[in-house]
This record gives sequence, structure tokens and C-alpha cells, in this order.
Amino acid sequence: METEEQARNRFQSELEFIQCLANPNYLNFLAQRGFLREKPFINYLKYLLYWKEPEYAKFLKYPHCLHMLELLQYEHFRKELVNAQCTKFIDEQQLLHWQHYSRKRTRLQQALAEQQPAQQQQQQLLPPQHGNATAK
Amino acid sequence: MATVVEKSTKERLLSALDDLEVLSRELIEMLALSRTQKLPQPGEDSQILELLVQRDREYQELMETARQQGEVHQEMEQLEKEVEKRDSDIQQLQKQLKEAEHILATAVYQAKEKLKSIDKARKGSISSEEIIKYAHRISASNAVCAPLNWVPGDPRRPYPTDLEMRSGMLGHMANLPTNGVNGHLPGDALAAGRLPDVLTPHYPWQSSDVSVGMLPPHHGNDFGLEPPGHNKENEDDVEAMSTDSSSSSSDSD
Repeated sequence: METEEQARNRFQSELEFIQCLANPNYLNFLAQRGFLREKPFINYLKYLLYWKEPEYAKFLKYPHCLHMLELLQYEHFRKELVNAQCTKFIDEQQLLHWQHYSRKRTRLQQALAEQQPAQQQQQQLLPPQHGNATAK
Repeated sequence: MATVVEKSTKERLLSALDDLEVLSRELIEMLALSRTQKLPQPGEDSQILELLVQRDREYQELMETARQQGEVHQEMEQLEKEVEKRDSDIQQLQKQLKEAEHILATAVYQAKEKLKSIDKARKGSISSEEIIKYAHRISASNAVCAPLNWVPGDPRRPYPTDLEMRSGMLGHMANLPTNGVNGHLPGDALAAGRLPDVLTPHYPWQSSDVSVGMLPPHHGNDFGLEPPGHNKENEDDVEAMSTDSSSSSSDSD
């Protein structure tokens, strides 16, 4: 049985390794060296699924790795990762997805900015009416 | 056991009537004859009269019996009607019971489903504060959302870059040789795959402070053994991606 020190080290190294899986270039690296074909490695990937549990997942800084881990369970995906074009495609899509929220936010801010002048115009119309009401 | 079937009242009545008819005809014939002839057989007329009276008495009795039988028959009919009514009542009750049972069964089933989902929700409950803390951690470091001023050429990525990977525990353990792994690596020191310990940047994704006390699940150290259940072969899921990624040399199955 391993000591607590060893277990902690193992925890940290597994934490680092699983987050490395979020890097498509690293996945390509692993595929080209044939790691993804080895049975022990495949079993290890299955074992790593424990990081999906909430009490472990809260340590992950790069959550994309979990999705990659799930995909890595499929043999077809592992086979495809050998192609550099495939991983380039994944990288591009990942970056686009990563930028999606900030793009949406800038769009919202633009829309809000456009609404502002219109609202200001409406506010200018209102006060005179209130003035008439109070005059009576 | 009596195998002789009793003649029904109707038959007896009819036969009594027939007798009466025959006797009265004979009597009338005799009276008609006695106008022309003197009585050939003295006493016969009184005989016939007696028979007539007898038959009449029988007839009266049979009529009385018939009347009684009619009353009994009426009672029977009434009782039958009662029985029919009760039967339909019972059937109605049966239908209602069945309906009630069905409704109750549905209600019980739905209640059980609700209890199951309550249990499930309770099991998965996480304090909102923790979720917010985690959300803050992953977004503040731009791990899930690009920084607002990001332009192509910016080295930041949603995954640990080469630099970060090498400066971690794994990088030190393995002392990886450089072999053209894609990334943005400046500098020779990094190209050599080694960093002096002092300069080791400590990235939060290596989280040694947060993970104190946290241990990975145990495993038999031999991953070469076949685990229970084997890998999924879901062709459809991954198919879309490979058809998008151009015409590379991968052989399609």
C-alpha cells in the first residue's frame, strides 16, 4: 500500500495529467507515439473518469479536459487523433468555443449601447407631461 | 323417483272442459230423444247429471288452483326483477371500484417517482457558495472564457500550454525531451526541458494548497489487466468530426 505522501503525489500528478488532456496538441503527441493504442493506457483513461465526481472535479482548472476524457473513451476518437489535421480542427473549434462567451458579451453590450440613446429620447418626452399634471 | 310427468294445469283444465262438453251434449241428446221415446235406459239421465256435476266441481277446483298458480307466478316475476336490479347495482359498484383502484395506483406510482427524484436531487446537491467559488476560479483565470482583449497571437489558451505542462510535477518527473510538440515555447532553457527550481512558476492548476488532504481513489497498480466492461464503440458520435476534418488518409470503416 502506498503512503499518504505517495498518494498525495499521485493525486497531484493525476490532476496535472488529466488537465493536460485538454490540450489537443498534447493528444496528438500521445497518439503519434502510440500511447493511445496501449491497453494499459486505455484502462488508465477509464480509471481517470473519477475526476467527473463533484468532490474531485472542483480541483480542475481547465474543465475542457473532462470532455476530452469522455471522448477518449471511444476507440474511433483515439484513432483519429493521430492526424495533425484532426487535432488542428479540434484546437480551432476549442478556441472558437472559448471565445464564444466573450463575443456574446460584447454583442450584448453593443446592443445595450444602441438602446441607450433611444431610452434617453423617451425620458426627455416624459417630464413635460408630468409638469402639466402637477400644474393642475 | 317419479318419472311420470304430471299433467300441467292447463291440460287438466282443457280435458275437464272437454268432458263437460261431452257430457252436456249427451244429456241434451237424451233430453231430445226422450221427447219421442220413453227412457230406454232408466237412471241414465241421473247418471249423466251426476257426472256433469262432478266434472263441474273438478273444473271449479282446477280454476282455483290455476288462480293460485298465477299469483305465485306473479310473485316470482317480481322477485326476478328485484334480483336484476341488485345485479346491476353490483356491477355498477364493481366498475367504480375498478376506477378507484386505477386512480389510486396511478397516484401511488407518481408519488413514488417523485420520491425517487427528490432522493436523486438531494444526493447531487452542492452548496451554491461552492459552485460560485468554483465558477469564479475557472473564469477568473480565463480557462473557460477568453479574455476580452484576446487576439490571435495571444499565447493564452483554454488548456495548459507546453510551458505550464513542463513546469509542473509531471514535467519534472519525466524530464521530457523536446520533440516538436506544438505550442509557443520561447527560450532555450525551456527547449532543454528543464527549469531551475527557483524559477519554477507555480500555476494554480497544480493546486497543491487546495488539495491538501485530498487523495485519489485506490487502484490496483496494474492497468494492464482488463477492467470490467470494455470501451464504447460509438461510431455515430465521432463520425461527424472526422468527416469535417478534410480528406486525410484515415481509412473509413
